[in-house]
Amino acid sequence: MSDPLSGTPADPAGPPRFYTLQPNGRIRPTSPHLQIWRWHVTMLGSILHRITGSGLVGGAVLVALWLGALAFGPGAYDAFVGLAGSPLGLIIWFALSLAGFYHLASGIRHLVWDTGAGLSPRGASTLTTVTLVFTVVAALAFWGWLFASGKVTL
Amino acid sequence: MSAHRSVYRKNVKVAERKGAGGWLAERLSSLVLVPLTLWALWSAAMIAGTGYEGALAWFAQPLNAWVLAATWLITLWHMNMGITVIVEDYIHKRSTLGLLLGLNTLICLALAVVGLLFITRLAVGSDPLPAGFGV
Repeated sequence: MSDPLSGTPADPAGPPRFYTLQPNGRIRPTSPHLQIWRWHVTMLGSILHRITGSGLVGGAVLVALWLGALAFGPGAYDAFVGLAGSPLGLIIWFALSLAGFYHLASGIRHLVWDTGAGLSPRGASTLTTVTLVFTVVAALAFWGWLFASGKVTL
Repeated sequence: MSAHRSVYRKNVKVAERKGAGGWLAERLSSLVLVPLTLWALWSAAMIAGTGYEGALAWFAQPLNAWVLAATWLITLWHMNMGITVIVEDYIHKRSTLGLLLGLNTLICLALAVVGLLFITRLAVGSDPLPAGFGV
């Protein structure tokens, strides 16, 4: 433990990088960073929420391109669908659907937490694991449905 | 951004008194986007494989175009807030921060305008572009 008022580490050999200088000149401890914490699933959940959210920006751009292709007529639309339905295109849509299902489920998880529910360490971890499992199951079910009904073909 | 005029008291930054509004906006947009996202996924599956005519037929239903327009705007609003939080968390250099936040809003606004233009034209059954733009 350290003395929070003086900002001096109790262990003099303690790493000084855990302390920061505030604008008023006081020394304050900083929060430990990733390599200090024991890995836990809520950490992965939080990181994934940001990564998937950022990735979905690309999804929004693709939706705008889809709308544009449709508005520019059959030639442009067929070209877009040709690219979107190519193996690489389908891989990108699949990745976006994974990101979408994750961000959706993880967002609901955050809304649940905002009510004050599920905030115990065990509850938070369980909710996050459920979110991760749901993501994979939902994405596979969604694409299974698309292929089985012949809406999407390779 | 330059809109951030931080107030300091005894050299310590004090609350900017706009956190509650932003917090609520994040929650409100998330809550509304839950059903809208599910609807969008369902719609995507309905449109998939129906070709140009099928997609146009989908837009011919007024409800589809209206709900899509709402989904589009709320998504971009939510996206703008999300990217803002990420940029503010990781970018500490004042000039870079301002540049990225401005770019974020610019891209969201551009997507909103362009998307609404396309959705409107598809909803009212306009001729394919660039018809109406001097061609």
